[in-house]
Amino acid sequence: MATETPTQRIPLSGHRRTRYGDLALRGITGLASVVLGLLMVALVYEVAHEAWPSIQEFGASFLTGTEWNAVTDVYGARDLIWGTLITSLGALLIAVPMSIAIGVFLSELAPRAIRTPVTMLVELLAAIPSVVLGLWGILVMGPFVAQHIEPFIINHFGWIPFLDGYPSNQGLFMAILVLTIMVVPIVASVSRELFTSVPSDLKQGSLALGATRWEMVRSVMIPQVSGGLVAAVMLGFGRAIGEAIAVTQVIGGSNTRPDNIWGPADTMASRIAAQYAGSPTALSKASLAYLAVILLVFSLIVNLTAQLIAARLQRQMRGAA
Amino acid sequence: MQKLRSSALVAAVLAIVALAAACGSSGSSSSGSGGAAASNDKALNGAGSTLVAPLIAQWAPDYNTKAGVTITYGPVGSGGGIDAITSRTVDFGASDAPLSSDQATACKGCVQIPWALAATVVTYNVSGVPNKLKLTGDVVAKIFNGDITSWNDPAIKSLNPGVNLPGTHITPVYRSDGSGDSFVFSSYLSAVSPDWKSNVGASTQPSFPAGQGAEKNSGVAAAVQSTDGAIGYVAVSYIAADSLDEALIQNAAGNYPEPSTDAISAAAGAVTGIQPDGSIPLVNPPASAADAYPLSTYSYAIVPKQSPKAAALKKFFTYAVTDGQSFGPDLGFPALPSSVVTHDKQVIASITS
Repeated sequence: MATETPTQRIPLSGHRRTRYGDLALRGITGLASVVLGLLMVALVYEVAHEAWPSIQEFGASFLTGTEWNAVTDVYGARDLIWGTLITSLGALLIAVPMSIAIGVFLSELAPRAIRTPVTMLVELLAAIPSVVLGLWGILVMGPFVAQHIEPFIINHFGWIPFLDGYPSNQGLFMAILVLTIMVVPIVASVSRELFTSVPSDLKQGSLALGATRWEMVRSVMIPQVSGGLVAAVMLGFGRAIGEAIAVTQVIGGSNTRPDNIWGPADTMASRIAAQYAGSPTALSKASLAYLAVILLVFSLIVNLTAQLIAARLQRQMRGAA
Repeated sequence: MQKLRSSALVAAVLAIVALAAACGSSGSSSSGSGGAAASNDKALNGAGSTLVAPLIAQWAPDYNTKAGVTITYGPVGSGGGIDAITSRTVDFGASDAPLSSDQATACKGCVQIPWALAATVVTYNVSGVPNKLKLTGDVVAKIFNGDITSWNDPAIKSLNPGVNLPGTHITPVYRSDGSGDSFVFSSYLSAVSPDWKSNVGASTQPSFPAGQGAEKNSGVAAAVQSTDGAIGYVAVSYIAADSLDEALIQNAAGNYPEPSTDAISAAAGAVTGIQPDGSIPLVNPPASAADAYPLSTYSYAIVPKQSPKAAALKKFFTYAVTDGQSFGPDLGFPALPSSVVTHDKQVIASITS
């Protein structure tokens, strides 16, 4: 996203041959960036263009409408926005502590013999195609969780709001679990890199001052890389918001908001993936494009917020140092 | 700070582009003139319905030896097929539901040719309950409306005396993508249940009030199989392929026919009216057809009235609705009634280049 222009240009110098090389380098890299920029512009144009009939028809009330009905041709995104936020935030709630723990373990605590294979496994997890994860969610995780984990939670913690109801193979909780699996490798591998980058004299220093390992992690390492961690979390959040295929496979594409976290729901991305092909009315197609516009705005906000927080934390760190 | 400012700039530029898109949009739909592949008369490309895919898979090699034309078919689903023929990226589309009025407008002069007969079947999975449970359309409507929520409901019990029904919670499973089966299913429920008609209605993507969605026939089959207490609907060929339990639905005559080729043929024989748009709605056939299966349907080929490959398409469709029908019964597709074949030939004759 960040399209920074170099603030300082290194003047061309040296032999003719290398100068041509520099020119070619600048030309090719510049062209690639321009093409990407144009692509982005074209994409936004096309999506907004397609969504326009729906934007005209429903305007801002699209955000609060609860109905999605191709028979009456009335569309509203409230429950889909809600589903997107609940599944993404739910996934982050589980994934972030887990990922930071993995990062700390791999950078600080793990013996070398374990470090390399586990690092590779975490990175491999990120490479699994989402459709495969979704299939695994349907065939393996769904039935297992619905038969063993959900009944346990419902029986013992059913008095907590949203944790009551019937176990379900497909629904919000399954989507949260699948998204967690997708977010963990992203956040974990970034935070491992970050923790490894903390200067060892800082770590050694705090240990020498009598800090325990835990105190060192908590008061030196995590604050030192907090800006990067926020960026990593936001990266994971963006991934979770936009994921369509795996979520479509496990969330159960419902038209209503469930009474509990087990029941079927739907997200914006999953609704677009499931219904765009062959949507029965012109307005339903435009409304799906409207959802895409909202998703674009969402990811833009996530990106900007991440940069804002990261910048502020970095300034704080510099001020503290 | 610098970075933040430039990000905000990017956001602003994109917002302006979006605005420009909005203003530039004068209601005219984009694309449409893509031009179908190469205008090669020795190859026809199609896409759409997964339901007729097995039948086309039989036609393709046979037609290739007879006419020397290669048929390539992508089973992307009825909705995908409609989109593909609307943008003219294929030579013909195939859909289990007729075009909606918006789709027909977007397709710009497409005709639909009923070229296969099939059925949608209600399936369920309740441990301890035998196959071929009897249900009425009204009870199915109440289940999918969320009014009947357990399998030992008196309404189900009274239809199945002697069957020991457990109190398992009912999970209705429907198609989350646009589907011909959803169209057949919701049209049938609209025909038999006034409540369903006013609350939900008929569509390829109806807004189901209760239950959970699954993608494609395979997704519904998998969801039903893996959920105790689930009930769903799939194309007839999936019942045998996935050895699913099928519910027998009461027809207008009060009988509970199985979705056999004979029962589907009986429904097709009882309905002769052809709608102005070229569709032939088969659901809930009249009581005069005592053994007619109530959720029968035609599957349609969709083709532009003007096509650069008109000659090749006309020959292929003529083959499909005549000689090609002989492959059907083995795959569960009964042969088309002769009145429909006659109608199809007229429609095929109207295609021009």
